Amino acid sequence: MKKSPYKIVIASGKGGVGKSMLTSGLAYLFGKDEKITAVDCDVDTPNLHIWLNEIEDWESSTPIQTSKKPVIDYEKCNGCGKCVQNCNFNALKMKEGKPQLNSFLCEGCGACKVTCPQNAIKLKSISNGKIRKKKTKYGFNLISGSLFPGETGSGKIVTELKKEADKEKVEYQIIDSPPGTGCPVIASLRDADLCILITEPTLSGFSDIKRIFELVKYFDLDYKVVCNKWDINKKIFQKIKNWKKDNFIGKISYNKKIFELISKLEPIMKTDLKVKDEIVKIYDKIKKEIK
Amino acid sequence: MNKSLKQIGITGGKGGTGKSTISILLANKLVDQGKKVVLCDCDVECPNEYLLLDEKLNNEIDQVFVEFPELIKEKCTKCGLCVKTCQENAIFQPKGGYPVFINDLCSACGACKIVCPNNAIKNREEKIGKIYRNNINSNFVLVSGLSKPGFEETSVVVRKLKKIALNIAKKESADVILFDTAAGTHCSVISALMGVNKAYAVTEPTPLGAYDLDIILELCKKLKIDTEVIINQSNIGNKDVIKPIVDKYSLKIRTEIPYSKKLVERYSKGKLKNFKELNEKITL
Repeated sequence: MKKSPYKIVIASGKGGVGKSMLTSGLAYLFGKDEKITAVDCDVDTPNLHIWLNEIEDWESSTPIQTSKKPVIDYEKCNGCGKCVQNCNFNALKMKEGKPQLNSFLCEGCGACKVTCPQNAIKLKSISNGKIRKKKTKYGFNLISGSLFPGETGSGKIVTELKKEADKEKVEYQIIDSPPGTGCPVIASLRDADLCILITEPTLSGFSDIKRIFELVKYFDLDYKVVCNKWDINKKIFQKIKNWKKDNFIGKISYNKKIFELISKLEPIMKTDLKVKDEIVKIYDKIKKEIK
Repeated sequence: MNKSLKQIGITGGKGGTGKSTISILLANKLVDQGKKVVLCDCDVECPNEYLLLDEKLNNEIDQVFVEFPELIKEKCTKCGLCVKTCQENAIFQPKGGYPVFINDLCSACGACKIVCPNNAIKNREEKIGKIYRNNINSNFVLVSGLSKPGFEETSVVVRKLKKIALNIAKKESADVILFDTAAGTHCSVISALMGVNKAYAVTEPTPLGAYDLDIILELCKKLKIDTEVIINQSNIGNKDVIKPIVDKYSLKIRTEIPYSKKLVERYSKGKLKNFKELNEKITL
């Protein structure tokens, strides 16, 4: 039984292997047949709107506060240094007998606050990002998060973003994950119904899909494998294809033209490139799988 | 610390723009010029440098541990203070029950242990990362980190990795240490960039590259890092979109590296050791 909304997360480990391109293509195709929401969880560097050829005229842009930072009352502080000792993130250092915060390293955990014997530290909420929303020209909504540069808490922004997406009554969520395997990635895919793992046939690409696979296994999620730019190294492509044979659902060819298209902000699904047909094939396989 | 040690960050915001490739080409060039180089791969979630240099991660030189909380039931009064204190929502307490620690959400900050009035929380040490060393040649050392899947706060691994890499640079009397960051701008990237004398932001000539470059340059500005831009694959796409972003921050484009089929081929097979083809373009 398919649950609703059914969450499809496109993830990769390695950056620049085609996550957002595939997400935009799948969103376009799913959006033609079903009610969907496209969600850009790459809050550090959100690019899905560019792939969808949408300009940034967001209908709503809501600042969010998912980060906290300590504020030290230097009148009360007696310079005992306990906060510095207890900070596991190296964000506090003693300077001229008093603790000083490096807010770039601070995770806002509050260990300093609870350890301070003088009650000299308070936690203050920080506006660290925003959630943006718009109706696309394809008819479905795009929800996109953004982390302010220099702020922490990207995983929590993703969590808020997903809550916002869950408010929409749709059949499918097509979700673009950030690269890597850290907190924003974990937040993106932990409740996925299906993960589409995409990579390229390079040693790095193969190594990184294995890394994201470990995470997928850790959370016991369903997954499928796609190889982008498959023809740049056919030998490694074969290895990737055979790696999880039963879960391999498609390949996408390399085409320098994609660079030009994206530079002209032309959506690939409206061209007659081979890439388009290849994404349609992947879409068909996913649909068959879900039904 | 070695006074003449230059610390350089390679970053870019967007993934797949060529951070690792440029880091290695730069290291190769510096070695060619007779410099001693330590390359530190700060992408501990997906380290790739070793692959591009045809190496294996089999020389583990250190480990990274954090201390997760563990409940001592006999001492716990179920007061719930730890639950209220945890900013990560990583402690769950069923009604009338004992608090449960959810490892996947825990950042191992230790606040719960500090706040517990009954000393009912103890530390349980867990390995969350490994550090590796590869000697590429007599003047080139690669130091890599690898985080455990499922652990969120990968910046902890990055910080330990940097400390070890800096120690190696000191011991080897290195001239330059290069820190190659992960994609994005989140805490692991910030930790990688913290303390560098100079950063290069690697981008690609597309609206995607431009959009993400804007974000990473804003971060570098906030961190007060002297930054320059490198356009990779500069002859495909449209590099006109990059210039306005670079101008916005009054920065310079340091160099442009054209698309090279040979480089892509060598990249895919992990054969960038001694790659010198583009040396004249690497003008750093």
